[in-house]
Amino acid sequence: MNKIFSLSCIVTLIIFPTKAFAYLDPGTGSIILQAILGFIAATIASISIYWTKFKSLISKLFDKKKENKKP
Amino acid sequence: MIEESGSFRDPAGTIFYINDRIFRKINKAGLDRINFLEKENIIEESIKRKYLIQTKILNDDEKNKLNLNISDVILEHIKIPYISYPYEWSFNQLKTAAIFHLDFNLFLLDLGATLIDASAFNIQYIGSKPIFIDTLSIEKYVDGEPWKGHKQFCENFLNPLILKSKKGIKFNNWFKGNLEGIQTDDLDKILSIFDKFSYNIFIHVYLLNKLDQKFASNKSLKPINKKKNFPKKNLILILKQLKRFISKLEDHKSISTWDDYSKNNSYTELEENKKKQIVEEFIKKNNFNLIADLGCNDGEYSELSLKNGCKSVIGFDFDINTIDRAHKKAVIKNLNFLPLFFDASNPSGNIGWNEKERKSFKTRSKFDAILALAFEHHLAIAKNIPLNEVINWLVSLAPTGLIEFVPKNDLTIIKMLELKGDIFPNYTIENFENALSLKSKILSKSKVSDSGRIIYEYKR
Repeated sequence: MNKIFSLSCIVTLIIFPTKAFAYLDPGTGSIILQAILGFIAATIASISIYWTKFKSLISKLFDKKKENKKP
Repeated sequence: MIEESGSFRDPAGTIFYINDRIFRKINKAGLDRINFLEKENIIEESIKRKYLIQTKILNDDEKNKLNLNISDVILEHIKIPYISYPYEWSFNQLKTAAIFHLDFNLFLLDLGATLIDASAFNIQYIGSKPIFIDTLSIEKYVDGEPWKGHKQFCENFLNPLILKSKKGIKFNNWFKGNLEGIQTDDLDKILSIFDKFSYNIFIHVYLLNKLDQKFASNKSLKPINKKKNFPKKNLILILKQLKRFISKLEDHKSISTWDDYSKNNSYTELEENKKKQIVEEFIKKNNFNLIADLGCNDGEYSELSLKNGCKSVIGFDFDINTIDRAHKKAVIKNLNFLPLFFDASNPSGNIGWNEKERKSFKTRSKFDAILALAFEHHLAIAKNIPLNEVINWLVSLAPTGLIEFVPKNDLTIIKMLELKGDIFPNYTIENFENALSLKSKILSKSKVSDSGRIIYEYKR
């Protein structure tokens, strides 16, 4: 578990590196955390996009059935 | 010209004062920043939306008049009535400032800019309203960059608020002891496993601390500067999520002695009206800009002073719950009244780098007058401070003011001495008057209660 955690942190460190020049030290932990948060947010966002698409598809199908029933 | 000793952290600019006016010299490191802000009209827009303190860039004529170097870029800011620090704020004052900071950053991101830090000291209160004072904390937003101020935001705002909200521990004395705020590893140790069930606490306290610990042991000194890949929409999501979380945080209040003091005190309505009349007359006949209300409680006399012509009042009280109540009152009634947490027997000192970074209460005390009503006995009796020292200290705070003497036979003192016993033979009205007349001229004295409370008006 510990190894997996370290590995995921190193991977995120490579993907989302820190900027070297700033008068304030943002802290490596904070940068990694933001990358993780960003990942979570992006995942939730994509799920919600697919969910919306799925819902609209269902509702379209439902509407078509309704229209077909109309005389 | 006096240089501000607390403005060294960002090398992009330096604050200095000339005749009570406040200026900011933009150093070489800050020129790009200020050019960007000017070009994109960001200073003006931020002022218009009441986020940023009134600021103007001096023209050559103005610089000439002040004997300043024409080639320097210099900003002038309007003066704030009283500089306060986050360790003097109540829970809701810090909460309002935190939300204000996040809102301002979201507003700036919309304009293509962002805040480079998240210091709570960059927010000041004018009455009940927060305002951002550090123009150079705004810079161009570079796409893909993470939020540099995140860690500082946690230590300066989020952690103190969680500490008070979840554990009921006042952040004030802790914050005063460490100007960086409440550190995440300290908070993590205090919070229970149940507290960490909250998504935001888990992420911004537990996980952040774990990551910090992991990387603190990473000994590599190799600088990392690769492709930036942190989309703006993610940054906005984090800011909005934090705002939602902080907005829902509630103060964890414990019952305090002074909770219902303004309703439940030892004087009658008639006596209270007399007291109010004295304050009214004192304020009306003078034209005060700034007064200090010591032991302000929920701000009854502060409000009365504002109604009678005083421009702004800073209230001081030992009880954090009453400060919070007074602040809420100031917000609801839109009063130019700033109540602050204050222990008169241990006021804020000169602290920080070189003991000059954050100023003491005394250094910042430039009041036109003081109101010290039902106050001196909390020092002379409750804290054992010799009566003459209390008077000397009070008179040193402002050239004029009202000081109420509370005699030993008053109910509040009887209660205070119940367990302690009367160990104060020098606490007499004669000694009070002697001490006061040694340091000032007594202009008037009025008896305000049957127990013998007397309000003295002094002038230095």
